[in-house]
Amino acid sequence: MSAPRGIAVVGAGLAAVSTCDALRARGYDGELVLYSAEHGLPYDRPPLSKDVLLGKSRREDVLLRPAQWYDEKGIELRDGTPVRAIRPREGGLELADGTRATADRIVLATGGTPRALPVPGGDDPGVHALRTWEDAERLRERLLPGARVAVVGAGLIGAETAAVAHALGCRVTLIDPVPVPLAAVVGDEIASALHSRHSAEGIEVLTAGVERIERRPGGLLVRLSGYGGSVAVDTVVAGIGIRPAIELAESAGLIVDNGIVVRPGQRTSHPNVFAVGDVARRDGHRVRHEHWEAAQRDGEAVAHGVLGLAVPEAGASWFWSDRHGSRLEAVGSMADAERRVLRGAVDTGAFTVFGLRGDRVVAAAAVDRPRDIKAARRIVDRGVVVDEGVLSDESADLRTLLKR
Amino acid sequence: MTTNSAVRVAAVGDIEEGEALKVPAETTGRADAIAVFHDGGAYYALDDTCSHGQASLSDGWIEGGEVECPLHSARFCLKSGEPQCMPATLAQRTHRVEVRDGEVWLHPGEESAG
Ligand SMILES: Cc1cc2nc3c(=O)[nH]c(=O)nc-3n(C[C@H](O)[C@H](O)[C@H](O)COP(=O)(O)OP(=O)(O)OC[C@H]3O[C@@H](n4cnc5c(N)ncnc54)[C@H](O)[C@@H]3O)c2cc1C
Repeated sequence: MSAPRGIAVVGAGLAAVSTCDALRARGYDGELVLYSAEHGLPYDRPPLSKDVLLGKSRREDVLLRPAQWYDEKGIELRDGTPVRAIRPREGGLELADGTRATADRIVLATGGTPRALPVPGGDDPGVHALRTWEDAERLRERLLPGARVAVVGAGLIGAETAAVAHALGCRVTLIDPVPVPLAAVVGDEIASALHSRHSAEGIEVLTAGVERIERRPGGLLVRLSGYGGSVAVDTVVAGIGIRPAIELAESAGLIVDNGIVVRPGQRTSHPNVFAVGDVARRDGHRVRHEHWEAAQRDGEAVAHGVLGLAVPEAGASWFWSDRHGSRLEAVGSMADAERRVLRGAVDTGAFTVFGLRGDRVVAAAAVDRPRDIKAARRIVDRGVVVDEGVLSDESADLRTLLKR
Repeated sequence: MTTNSAVRVAAVGDIEEGEALKVPAETTGRADAIAVFHDGGAYYALDDTCSHGQASLSDGWIEGGEVECPLHSARFCLKSGEPQCMPATLAQRTHRVEVRDGEVWLHPGEESAG
């Protein structure tokens, strides 16, 4: 196949910006256009549920890159320009205003949109999601001291938002039908410790589903299933996951199944189309890796794919999440572990859990133990055969496992 | 650029391989603390606070000529201070370190040769 001369990147989140960065770093010097449905310079999302909601960070603090970077790298950023369709066979795409643009390779980096609460009243304007800068600004105006806030979904974003709302002085109710959310991702020990922390801090935690949301004078009534009762609030925040933005891929006939299915080099089923970030699912993986670092790494991988270079090994995935002043981090896939080994005492609040399969570590999760996680990641990536005694013995330096 | 006089920060052997020492701003006379790293038998020094977030690089993971920030895993070259990956986009300031008569001396404000 001929070398690319015009590359269009659709979407301008982390995966897209990382793609552009990596393409230039690998020597691509042709046309590079970044199409963004949002307005303004691309920004980072993790701060939205943290310092942005807390009012500590402004937009300029969370930009992925400064304005001049796009000029320096010769990247044409077309913000406020949604792409309506991609036409890989014709070597181009169609913009929302009907105009056409050419590109001989297309990278889809369209991310996802928050799932709406699938119940009557779930679309009430008092029900918020948190994905974009505008979402965060709108929500911040509602998180006033004394405001009654229900957060539906106690996964990563729900838990963070509940903790921030609580810190801002709101009266928070956290609702999830699962008694110990995240257990499959980080193991029971950490999931329980983190979830019980919410009530210890003064958040009301309910194990229940939401049946409907009714508008009442002065607020909303969240009717619960299972639990049977209802909660009267001023604001609802739904953190129940995202739906990958697969429309462009689907209408172009690409293989889509819980995300755009990709093979090494982020290749889709069309040779000139690639997909990165939250919208992509690696063939053979059950889940999409909807985390910050995965989006960044995809950018690196797709640059290799697009330019026809050998794709480097990805290594174990990693994510973090902040709540109540504590940091959760996880590496690898806990679902693949046959057993778990604990390092440190759960009641101290700072501890690590390793997930093992045979004599190797396949995953680890930790609360406030960044060094353990960094060691764990290297232990997983290097396939080190481990001595469980060293893992569980806090006085033993994990780095000894990495030296041979 | 003004340079402060050299500071003795440790004896050789005090900072283990793969470890770092945080030299507080009061000692260095600079705005930020300085992290002195020991990696691959050599010593390096960078401004301690990560150019991306509020984290102390002396608490980072030190290996293969790089330090990885404890907070968001940005990596910096110990020699040049250059960021090796996102989220960091700005370099850390370097400072010259000298080993003299079994002692580790830091020259705050004096860039390392790179
Ligand atoms: C509030 C919040 C907190 C988070 N916190 C953490 C955390 O602590 N740790 C962690 O590891 N991860 C975290 N994440 C996850 C991480 O931010 C995402 O995995 C990452 O942003 C994914 O990047 P992306 O580029 O794939 O998608 P996105 O960032 O969603 O970007 C996609 C972009 O594409 C645009 N787009 C879509 N369709 C079109 C179209 N047709 N034309 C043009 N543009 C289009 C969208 O408008 C959007 O701007 C968080 C996410 C959120 C929302």
